[in-house]
Amino acid sequence: MNTKQKYVVIIALVLIAAALILWLVSGGEILSKDGVWVEKEMTELDKALGLEPQKEYQAKFILGLLPHTAVFSGIVAGLSIILFFIFKTKKTREKNE
Amino acid sequence: MNKVIKSIVLLLLAVSVTFAQGFKVKASGEQTFNFEDKRNQVKFFSTTPLEDITGISNAVKGKVTLNVSDIKTMKGSIIIPVSSIKTAIDLRDEHLRSENWLDAENYPEISFVIKSVGDVKVSADNKLEAKITGDFTVHGVTKETVADVSLTYLDASEQTKQYAPGDLLGVQAKFNITLSDFEVENMVVGQKVSESIEITATLRGSNAK
Repeated sequence: MNTKQKYVVIIALVLIAAALILWLVSGGEILSKDGVWVEKEMTELDKALGLEPQKEYQAKFILGLLPHTAVFSGIVAGLSIILFFIFKTKKTREKNE
Repeated sequence: MNKVIKSIVLLLLAVSVTFAQGFKVKASGEQTFNFEDKRNQVKFFSTTPLEDITGISNAVKGKVTLNVSDIKTMKGSIIIPVSSIKTAIDLRDEHLRSENWLDAENYPEISFVIKSVGDVKVSADNKLEAKITGDFTVHGVTKETVADVSLTYLDASEQTKQYAPGDLLGVQAKFNITLSDFEVENMVVGQKVSESIEITATLRGSNAK
């Protein structure tokens, strides 16, 4: 492995790790979401009416493992494999042979 | 002979009053409650191997009529448009409305039409629990379904005015349906949805005209 190839591998690993960390920080959801359900605070009237807490929709993007994190990681892995072979020098080729 | 007839009528009245289970509130007689309000909610809950799915509609329509002193007289229906269900993933909402799932174009509404009320339990003067049998229709298929329902009657007051004029009826209902009974495939965006869907309705109705 030459220096360029090493850079490619390191950058790819850092990008994939960053994507996974971002996914975990975003809540570690399996599927990406376009919104979230937030539990509404019960009013005294709702309690008097014997009702259960309700949920309220809020538009908010939540990064999920599928498809965004997985697709991004896949693209990074694919590109790094291509670059890895492009950066294969004569020396490393001969060494491998 | 007249005395006998009168006695029978009185006896029947006494029996019906004794067995009539209803609210002991200021209001009396037949009341109609309108549930068309964006604060009302119907929730659908299912599990898939990937995650739990919650679908919610806030576009509830419907009216319920009942005799305050006899809950068994309850009639009416609750309707929600299929297009109003949100699951927090836009693509999944589209798939839910598609021909392969609920087919919103051909079957735009989900409805519950009350047929009868049974197993009434009085938990307070203004609170009842009951099993309500009704015709539940989804995807153009109608099946008789029994819902566990708790009903709370609030006479009009300063507190109820904050929500709506008139008396209020709070309805908390829950029942389960099986997807295959309604000819709905149990795959949504590649996820196998549980055969059993739990449906919860949280409703407030006003009798203001």
